[in-house]
Amino acid sequence: MSDREFGGNDDLSLPKATVGKIISEILQSDPGVTFAKDTRDLLIECCVEFITLISSEANEIAEKEAKKTIACEHVKAALEELDFGNYVPAILEVAADYKKQQASREKKQTKIEQSGMTEEELIRQQQELFRSATDKFNAAPQ
Amino acid sequence: ISTKFPVARIKRIMQADDDVGKVAQVTPVVVSKALELFMISLVTKAAAEAKARNSKRVATTHLKQAVTKDEQFDFLSEIVGKIADAPAAQKEEDGEGRKRK
Repeated sequence: MSDREFGGNDDLSLPKATVGKIISEILQSDPGVTFAKDTRDLLIECCVEFITLISSEANEIAEKEAKKTIACEHVKAALEELDFGNYVPAILEVAADYKKQQASREKKQTKIEQSGMTEEELIRQQQELFRSATDKFNAAPQ
Repeated sequence: ISTKFPVARIKRIMQADDDVGKVAQVTPVVVSKALELFMISLVTKAAAEAKARNSKRVATTHLKQAVTKDEQFDFLSEIVGKIADAPAAQKEEDGEGRKRK
């Protein structure tokens, strides 16, 4: 699957509807203020330029470290280099959340694999547990 | 802000640069956050420029003003360069004579 073969220039832009929604969210506290359509389109160009700028810088930083993959660290360094250091705390938070999500996803998968049972067996076991819990509950003195 | 940018699209834009090779899975997610902050900053400033000119409609010239006034946005000067400047005191009207269409 080659991402570069998908469609023409349109795919190297951001969806107008999504950008429009974000603009509305940003201007929530200022009802009545609207962005003209061409202003929104110009903003999209600026956004793409921003992504390109950060990517290019992050790529250079990665190359200097002889790394072939652009990692979060490189993006962080790029932001600092390009005078966007104020964005760093937020992106580090996002990166930490993402890693946590990945870890818990992997942990769940490993636990299922380690039980050595098939899904059917696990479901059966769960039903047994429920049944015995219900029995205990019903048998308990009122 | 609850609306999210499409992460796959961001990755595609990053890799449109031939020099850029592989990108870790978390990277476009992080760039997406940076982009969100960038947009908040630029949109807010452009809206402020519109307000300063008594306009409820944020026009391209307001965006240009926001870009020009902040050093952080120097890299955008070429993109906004094609937009005409409006004199500060003038009220905004439709039909600014843009050639973008």
